[in-house]
Amino acid sequence: MTTVAHPADTDIDLLGHLYRRAGFGATREQLESYAKLSYEDTVEALLNPDPKRDIQDDVLERYIHGEGPPIFVAGWLYRMINSEAQLQEKMTLFWHHVFATGLVKNEHVLAAKNQIKMFRRNGMGDMTTILNDLSRDPAMLFWLDNNENRNGEPNENYGRELLELFSLGVGNYSELDIKDASRAFTGWTFEQPPPLYPHGYYPAKFLFREDDHDNGEKTFLGVTGNLNGGDIIDIIVKSPASARFICRHLYNFFVADEPQVPSWNDVPPLDPEGIAMMEAKFIETGGDIRSVLRVMFNSDFFKAARYKKVKSPTEFIVGVLKMVGSQTEMAPGMTKYAGAIDVMGQKLLDPPTVEGWHTGGEWIDGGNLTERVNFAVDEIGEGLAPGIQALVQRIKDSESLGSAESLVNAVLTETGYVEVSDRTREALIDFANDAEGEDQTTRVIRMLRLAVATPEYQFA
Amino acid sequence: MVTITNGKPPVLVIVQLTGGNDFMNTLIPYTSGLYHDVRPVVGVSEDRVLPINDELAFHPCAAPLKEMFDDGDVAIIQGIGYENSNRSHFRAMDIMHTAEPNSIATEGWLAQALREIDPDTKNVLTGISFGRGLPRAMAAPGVSVTSVGDLDSYGLLTSVEIEEHRARELDIFKRMYTPAIGSGPVMSYLHQTGGDVMTGADLLKTVPANYRSTVEYADNPIAKSLRDVARVHTSGLGTRIFYTQHAGYDHHAIEVPNHERLLTELSGALRDFMADLREHDAAEEVMIYVFTEFGRRIADNGSGTDHGSGGGAFIVGERVVGGLYSDYPSLDPADWANGEDLAHTIDFRSIYATLLEQWMSVDSSEIVRGKYEQINPFAA
Amino acid sequence: MARPYGLLRAGFPYVKTLGMRRITNFPIDIALGNEDRIYILCRQENAAMIRKYNYADEDLGSIGSWGTDEGQFQWPVTLIADGDENLFVSDEALNRITQFDREGEVLSTWGEKGSLDGQFDRPAGMTFDLDGNILIVDSMNHRVQKFTSDGKYLDKWGSRGSSDGKFESPWGITVDEIGDVYVADWGNDRIQKFSSDGEFIFAFGSSGNGDGQFNRPTDVAVDLDGDIYVADWGNDRIQLFNSEPRFVQKFLGEATLSKIAREYMLTNASPNRIRDMANLEPQRALRRPKSVVIGDDGRMYVTDTDSYRVQVYQKEVIPLDATQIAPPMRSPTLHQE
Repeated sequence: MTTVAHPADTDIDLLGHLYRRAGFGATREQLESYAKLSYEDTVEALLNPDPKRDIQDDVLERYIHGEGPPIFVAGWLYRMINSEAQLQEKMTLFWHHVFATGLVKNEHVLAAKNQIKMFRRNGMGDMTTILNDLSRDPAMLFWLDNNENRNGEPNENYGRELLELFSLGVGNYSELDIKDASRAFTGWTFEQPPPLYPHGYYPAKFLFREDDHDNGEKTFLGVTGNLNGGDIIDIIVKSPASARFICRHLYNFFVADEPQVPSWNDVPPLDPEGIAMMEAKFIETGGDIRSVLRVMFNSDFFKAARYKKVKSPTEFIVGVLKMVGSQTEMAPGMTKYAGAIDVMGQKLLDPPTVEGWHTGGEWIDGGNLTERVNFAVDEIGEGLAPGIQALVQRIKDSESLGSAESLVNAVLTETGYVEVSDRTREALIDFANDAEGEDQTTRVIRMLRLAVATPEYQFA
Repeated sequence: MVTITNGKPPVLVIVQLTGGNDFMNTLIPYTSGLYHDVRPVVGVSEDRVLPINDELAFHPCAAPLKEMFDDGDVAIIQGIGYENSNRSHFRAMDIMHTAEPNSIATEGWLAQALREIDPDTKNVLTGISFGRGLPRAMAAPGVSVTSVGDLDSYGLLTSVEIEEHRARELDIFKRMYTPAIGSGPVMSYLHQTGGDVMTGADLLKTVPANYRSTVEYADNPIAKSLRDVARVHTSGLGTRIFYTQHAGYDHHAIEVPNHERLLTELSGALRDFMADLREHDAAEEVMIYVFTEFGRRIADNGSGTDHGSGGGAFIVGERVVGGLYSDYPSLDPADWANGEDLAHTIDFRSIYATLLEQWMSVDSSEIVRGKYEQINPFAA
Repeated sequence: MARPYGLLRAGFPYVKTLGMRRITNFPIDIALGNEDRIYILCRQENAAMIRKYNYADEDLGSIGSWGTDEGQFQWPVTLIADGDENLFVSDEALNRITQFDREGEVLSTWGEKGSLDGQFDRPAGMTFDLDGNILIVDSMNHRVQKFTSDGKYLDKWGSRGSSDGKFESPWGITVDEIGDVYVADWGNDRIQKFSSDGEFIFAFGSSGNGDGQFNRPTDVAVDLDGDIYVADWGNDRIQLFNSEPRFVQKFLGEATLSKIAREYMLTNASPNRIRDMANLEPQRALRRPKSVVIGDDGRMYVTDTDSYRVQVYQKEVIPLDATQIAPPMRSPTLHQE
């Protein structure tokens, strides 16, 4: 990749938007350094992260010990905060939303971790590989009962959800398609791992049991033959319905909040043209996710969709922690952030159902709005964390303390929230005027606390 | 349905014992030779227990509960459970919360009741959960429940230490969250929610100052939560369902001292809570339901007990007809579930139906998905 | 005691397994006491302690807990015991060393974060030298520091890098019976040997999973014969080298159920069924062994960290004098006599 510097044409606010969506946010200072690359080159770098510059597994494993879900989530959050491979982490989270698999049933933390690792590895790859890996993933096989899917006694749970929730969407297949797809996945199971006691989790391994596989003739989406699971996936990925469905998921996750998934058969996309562009790339490349992401992030509809999404609890917390700058070195106690995400309504590794989390306004209720606001305000606290000190210094250095208006602008710019309603802005300006007599550092910190408590801060 | 003589609406207080309470060591079959044989380590000797009849006795650390039982204020639901009891904490608790053992459900049984009781959320405090994060039992789309981590510092911007700073910042918060026309559905909803939080916080703020009591609760989490319930309830804010949790019941190891401590805390807190309500003439309308996600293994493992089934629950209140309900699970090994667990004798959804219909006057058929035979634990 | 002239290596059989999940969670290091007492350092987020244990697989209680107060740990790394069973624990989060007596009373606490002499940035491995001083691997300062046993700074060597005598996030350390020092140079996938005053002697190992290669070695031990044991963490094995150092053999794990694990399983029907259905081969193997400790009796204790247990092996060698082993040869031979 040749990179050409275009400092003049790269709009920092646009980069901020890109980093909130394709990553977990970035400080203004980081954005200024990223602006040395053109927007397109930045997208390209996010799409092709350098594995050497990613957080290394052995370093995480050296310091963070333990088996429980919050301990794993702590390490994952560390990656989200500090990894340069921001989009890779975001895509890992994306697939966790889509292929929602929960410990509430599975109980097997290692299988859950390995599933997340799989998403990190293949998440920007091609859809055929992604679905094939998924269909061999023990956590998924157990979650949707494919270990019970046997020749002559099919269990249709996986076959159904693969079509309904993972690839085609309601209305794009028949009950007979479900039956035969399920038959094609008979015998796809896993080898029994040893039990948790007395020596901990052991990985489950995919196992194809020929003797449990139905080799009879099947018909799926009009194709007839002795189809195996892999054939079903090939047919799915070639179907225009899967292009539509996956692109809509990507749009909902990265661009703007769509209605919830179950309604997609009845409710058209918010932006049919945008989805059509992504679909065309999906079809042209045979389901190459990286190519679809490239089209999406470089599109005008993406660039225009600022603050159109309610942040998920994970995005909210990681965004705050990136700004505060308190978690740039591995340290004990990060499990508390796993707990904080949980009380805001997103227990990672444990989505409420196979449909995943409902997004948009459904992230918010009184309890978790309180948790969100208090979390952000608390993390800023008295402004002792390194990120906040740097932020305060930048605001002071920017000579914006002269008027309440310029102070409010500076605070909103530094926290990444330029577009607020007039009412929010007026309230903040009044506050800035009131606090004029105070020590300037205190005044700025109090302004920052209010900036993260605005309704607008709930949006990415 | 029960008529409450003071005319106040019925209130339900849930006490969740998290981790799987060892029912067999709470209500002990003390004259069974088998009990002492299979529990050489955690078994309680016959000379220490508090008998209620020739077969069953309370654990010695549950003396306050025994006294309340003797006063006729405690209904013991023996052998509560469901078919194929799940031994995973998470799943088993989820089943208890959603009243759905057979598939993964999302709507909590109490949240659905709240939807019936206060369909338009006229009062943001109709349901209150103590502890951060909502238990699934209290969660359902469109149902607004207030979760209170710490009643004395409940609200927004609680970490701002300087009180006048916080007050001023809350003013600004309120302005920023005032509903505005034309701001779009999601933003409007956010404004509304922020406003509700402020309303709830303003209401709850008055509670600590208004409360006086001669009852001195012990210093432990469940006593603190039940005291918080008493403070809110006696303030007359219209709360109908309170949710509290008492954690730590997962005694795989070193069960004896730890279970003793928890039973001491729990039964003492229940006694103090009832005394406090009586002092405020606010007891009659309150019913307490104490439950756990599962019972524990019949035999001990040399230090504690592992996950099992066939647990027990308690309904506590002035309007209870005290006594034993359902049957104590059979101790005959031929009857054990999985060859090692107490087999349940009553479905937990029978109790939910009983509490919802007879106490809260809420139709239960959709919440428990069917008809379950109810018990009759309330005095008319 | 001088090292034997040569060794007849009769075998190094597996002996037994100690501990299980919930009793010895994530053992990261062990220290040997008298009368078969064993101290097992357990570390995970939000739960850390020293498990007091014995060779008969009995839980004798614990010392310490997770936290930042005196006598507590957050990220404990290494546990060493002196002849009186005073216990020293390094903590790489709190940047301090805590000394306990064997009953768990805190005797002293020292250390602070920094890069000056005597300060720490993630103290990891520790060992006594022949004078009773303590050598501490100051991991993120990429150096070794020497202290008296009551925490007075004496000396240091090393800096960040990959050339001879430099380190990349080093971890374990040991001293042999003549006072030479060995350091597990974690990030450089090698072991380095130094004289007692820090003069570089040799380094061995490279990145990989072949014999004699390492993937993030975490610990090193040396026995009275001069044999060198390396906890090859990322390759899930222990490797044994002679003093030259030439690769001799490796240990991948042969665990059986410990006594307490057997007792546990006898009251748990469903895990028994699952075990009966499972491929048990993986249960023998070491998983992320973090430390290796050699007793004077030739027992090798390996903390099998991710399997919540300790595997014990017994060295069986017969010392040979110069009449029992032919002189060294400079090239391999096909002659059989």
